[in-house]
Amino acid sequence: MTALLEVTNITAGYGDGPAILDGAHLTVVPGKVHCIIGPNGAGKSTLLKAICGMLKIRKGDVVLKGERLNGLRPDQILRKGICFVPQERALFPKMTVRENLRMGGFILGNAKELDRSVDAILDRFPILRERANQHAGTMSGGQQQTLAMARTLIIRPDIVMLDEPSLGLAPKIVQEMFSIMKMMSEEGVTVLLVEQNALMGLKNSDIGVVLDLGRTLIEGPAADVLADPRIQELYLGGRKAA
Amino acid sequence: MAQFIQVLILGLALGGVIALMGSGLSLVFGVMRIVNLAHPSLIIAGAYVAYWAFKLWGIDPIVMLPVAALILAGIGVLLYRLMFEKEAKSARYSEMTVLLTFALAMMVEGLLGAFFTNTQRVTSPDYATDAFFLGDIFIPKGQLYAGIVSLVIIGALALFLKYSRMGYAIRATTQNRDAAELLGVNVNLVSVVAFAIGIGLAGAAGALVSFVFSFFPAKQWEWIAMLMSVVVLGGMGSILGTVVAAFSLSVIAAFVGTWVGATWSTMTFFLALFVILLIRPEGLFGEKPEMA
Repeated sequence: MTALLEVTNITAGYGDGPAILDGAHLTVVPGKVHCIIGPNGAGKSTLLKAICGMLKIRKGDVVLKGERLNGLRPDQILRKGICFVPQERALFPKMTVRENLRMGGFILGNAKELDRSVDAILDRFPILRERANQHAGTMSGGQQQTLAMARTLIIRPDIVMLDEPSLGLAPKIVQEMFSIMKMMSEEGVTVLLVEQNALMGLKNSDIGVVLDLGRTLIEGPAADVLADPRIQELYLGGRKAA
Repeated sequence: MAQFIQVLILGLALGGVIALMGSGLSLVFGVMRIVNLAHPSLIIAGAYVAYWAFKLWGIDPIVMLPVAALILAGIGVLLYRLMFEKEAKSARYSEMTVLLTFALAMMVEGLLGAFFTNTQRVTSPDYATDAFFLGDIFIPKGQLYAGIVSLVIIGALALFLKYSRMGYAIRATTQNRDAAELLGVNVNLVSVVAFAIGIGLAGAAGALVSFVFSFFPAKQWEWIAMLMSVVVLGGMGSILGTVVAAFSLSVIAAFVGTWVGATWSTMTFFLALFVILLIRPEGLFGEKPEMA
């Protein structure tokens, strides 16, 4: 299958500091959920930030549907179809749920089209409709994460990148987050997920990617990655995945 | 009772103008985290625009207000491009902007002093010395008109921020700059526009101030303390907070001026700034500062 996004041997870091990513690669397949795992400091979040233009790529290429994205600003990369939700969810706490959703479609010039998209999202996520006029900062962590993920769908992106969406959430809520990701992929949106909980992340994904020390160690079907003895030993504490 | 109502009315009428003077300062801090110490000097520049237009051509300062606002907004764009754009990604951004705006305040004061001397000026349209009478109570027309115009401008600003596309972008950038950029907002453009609006509001306030207060270039040092107390009490970056704080402090200052003494009226603002920073540094509507 043709790759939607191809990341080839990229090197990137923060400011003039040392390289966090040092030769990482990634092949993103359309319509699948990809889970990136790895120990702390492996460069998982850095990889997403480099793809979305928040960090300068020092070497290597990021290519979306044949177009090189190196050097573009985050807003330009968003317009190309890649949406990023960072760990802190990037909500506007003093804006209402509806206003946050409207901000999700900021790049859509047409106000009527934006209103239609916002209403469609509110229909799909009843919890957000119930709280449409509530300030985002006053909602629970799970509701905020739902809003952050739902907001990405306003512009119907090709790829949604999520940096640790389960962070700080109760297990039941985390499962709801994975259900939303599954729904996204069923609708043709490709999901690229960074997850600290390797077992849960891989079980809910189609493709697994293991990063270590800024490099791609393993890339393949999530079930194969899960069964890999190195992963069992390194990230799952030697436990067999159920 | 009549005196109480009289003082209340005077305080409220001035509160509108003070709110307008502070709203530009608050907007600029909210979006760019620039504590613009030069804001009062730019208000005085706006006051000179209205003063000379009235003196030379007899143009009413309220009519001149949009012109003063546009001239100052243009100056705002130039200042932002020359002074702040390069600093936006500096690790020492906050310190640098405080020093830069302090230097700017000194420069503007020096330039205004060189051109117009330090003579006290006041624009004097007929209504500036006239009043409406309701029995024993009088309402100075100048302060009333300035207060009403200020509230109309602040209302228009609030509607712009609430409903326009650029208003959404400004509010989003104020609350979470990185998130706004991730959602496609050109935060550099937003910063320029917000700075221009902020300085334009200084120009508009200057046109009104020109017939409400007497002014001269060095007056800025008195006003910066007054405006800082209003903006800090409201919560740095909150325009609603600035308006509430401006009315509250203006009314309190009016009562202090009447019952304690005129000198203590100005001291109300200085004392308020000191007390607020001690007991509630985030102000009425601001966010709690992060712990180091």
